[in-house]
Amino acid sequence: MKRALITGITGQDGAYLTEFLIQKGYEVHGIKRRASLFNTQRIDHLYQEEHVKNRKLILHYGDLTDASNLVRIIQKVQPDEVYNLAAQSHVAVSFEAPEYTSDTNAMGTLRLLEAIKMLGLVEKCRFYQASTSELFGKVKETPQNEETPFHPRSPYSVAKLYAYWIVVNYREAYGLYACNGILFNHESPLRGETFVTRKITRALARIFLGLKKFVSLGNLDAKRDWGHAKDYVEMQWLMLQQNNPDDFVIATGVQHSVREFVELAANELGILLKWEGEGVDEKGIVDRIKPSKIEQRQNLDLGQKANILKPGDVIVRVDPRYFRPAEVKTLLGDPAKAKNMLGWEPRISFENMIQEMIQYDLEEAQRDHLCKQEGFKVCNFYE
Amino acid sequence: MKKAIIFGISGQDGAFLSKILLEKGYQVVGVSRNINNNSFVNLKRVKAWGHIELISCSMLDFDSVFKLVEKNTPDEIYDLSGQSSVALSFKKPVETYESISIANMNLLEVLRRINGSIKLFNAGSSECFGNTQGKAATENTPFFPRSPYAVAKASACFQTANYREAYKLFACTGILFNHESFLRPETFVTRKIVNTACRIFRGSNEKLVLGNISIERDWGWAPEYVNAMWLMLQQEKPDDFVIATGRTCQLEQFIISVFETLGLNWKNHLETDKKYLRPADIKRVKANPAKAEKLLKWKAEYTTCDVARLMVEAELQTAPVKQ
Repeated sequence: MKRALITGITGQDGAYLTEFLIQKGYEVHGIKRRASLFNTQRIDHLYQEEHVKNRKLILHYGDLTDASNLVRIIQKVQPDEVYNLAAQSHVAVSFEAPEYTSDTNAMGTLRLLEAIKMLGLVEKCRFYQASTSELFGKVKETPQNEETPFHPRSPYSVAKLYAYWIVVNYREAYGLYACNGILFNHESPLRGETFVTRKITRALARIFLGLKKFVSLGNLDAKRDWGHAKDYVEMQWLMLQQNNPDDFVIATGVQHSVREFVELAANELGILLKWEGEGVDEKGIVDRIKPSKIEQRQNLDLGQKANILKPGDVIVRVDPRYFRPAEVKTLLGDPAKAKNMLGWEPRISFENMIQEMIQYDLEEAQRDHLCKQEGFKVCNFYE
Repeated sequence: MKKAIIFGISGQDGAFLSKILLEKGYQVVGVSRNINNNSFVNLKRVKAWGHIELISCSMLDFDSVFKLVEKNTPDEIYDLSGQSSVALSFKKPVETYESISIANMNLLEVLRRINGSIKLFNAGSSECFGNTQGKAATENTPFFPRSPYAVAKASACFQTANYREAYKLFACTGILFNHESFLRPETFVTRKIVNTACRIFRGSNEKLVLGNISIERDWGWAPEYVNAMWLMLQQEKPDDFVIATGRTCQLEQFIISVFETLGLNWKNHLETDKKYLRPADIKRVKANPAKAEKLLKWKAEYTTCDVARLMVEAELQTAPVKQ
């Protein structure tokens, strides 16, 4: 039986990867940070209590900023595979907290590699590094592949650039089986609520049920290559099962703007949008309301019952607060290498992903709507 | 009178830069981690000692850097600090990253907070390019770093560019190719060759023990390179520049030049040892400094062979040290 160690196990990818590896028969160890709030919601369904024998999921307290802690955990777990998914993962926040971002994303990766080397696990242990399309930043060519030069545009991506190259360096210098997955944006209902896709689906579902008036976004014309996280974690595992370690771009090869994402998500709820104004004054206005696809599928009557939205309502606004000091305008990946060498191809379409996200967020909004109606407290979770 | 702060004042470049800035009429503040625990031999050798104010400050401490810059209100800051040995970076990757990348970030953050008019020079490195193969590296050549040192330098270079793009700071990276002088410590291969050869010339029967002598680099004369640093901060717009001679040469050629200057046959004195090989080494480095020549009007006068000769001459002028 193989043992895997996942940093960032409480995050979106950590949750999907844990589920995937347990299905593959792995014993999965995860590192979670101590926080005053529970932070294991995403893996709650996989969690096993301490007294259970032959547990498949075991959590350890730890932090990428603590070298001795990482050495101790790796020594204890003796992993066959390490997946480094932990990071300060928010690009916009990295402009506010650059040093912390660098400590976690850049040095955290180095600490893990050093721990593996120090413990003499270079021969035994394989290493996956969660790299990112943000490395391409101000893109030098479109689409981007494994040969495209980097131009990072944020402290987040500069730190990830360090992590990328130090992984390559440990592969070349010490023969460690270490790979970078250069993942383009990947989303799901488990995506953090402050990432733009989840922010949109969550906000629209709440607007639909009258829990919120409008949503404020940054650059509506930013273009991204969005895939589904569930598809992408399979590739993370595949990369560690090859004869030789290598770096791979993981993407769908299809690009959409934030604006298109908003339109499709709204359409799923039966809201047809029109756009008025320009730049920071641009607004997304309800043009028409039709029976929503979700309601039709599930034979529900949520929106009409709430009877909140009407044509002319402004539900999307632009707020310069969400502009980045240096914007990444466009990202589009070329996944040909992963397709040829790993036999990997994404299965879940962009439309189906949005459908799944809207459905999930609508259920959450329904729950809050119900609680509110019955007089229970409901959190807004302001950004 | 213009004022400059130099971080990394005790090193080779710190000394040469101090000298030319003093000559240009600058008031110079030099920073080192602990000025009481440093003899500043380099500053003494270029006769800058006594003419600059020396301050202790760790660049890893944001507060200290902030107070230092705020109090001194410089026009220009030169960041030449950092763990500078490629070989050592494999043994001390964390310290290397902190001293290069976190130090650079602290400076950038201080400038973001204080005042947009302070100009920053960041000392970049040709090591970022890795093997340039036959192609000469320019400012647009993608990086392929091959040591923890080079990875840290690559991240500091992009970090500097990011703060320039995001906050419109006047911040530049000079991507400096190898630049040598009599102030290089003996842990650097050029100085090791020169010193060993001079000892042999003076009668020592030791051998010169090296790793790979077929590596190719672009070695220039450090006193010329510090002038390029200054020129970069005198431009209208901040930008990154490759600083090199543009003429690549094998380490073997450098060795030959050194021994020829001394009238010795290098083949009689050289041995190679695997212990000096690096875990991942760069074979060949080639540079194209055309942008610096065009925009900065800067061009290296001294070739690698000149550098070898100048270093030998300087070494012979100093009193022989007993081993």
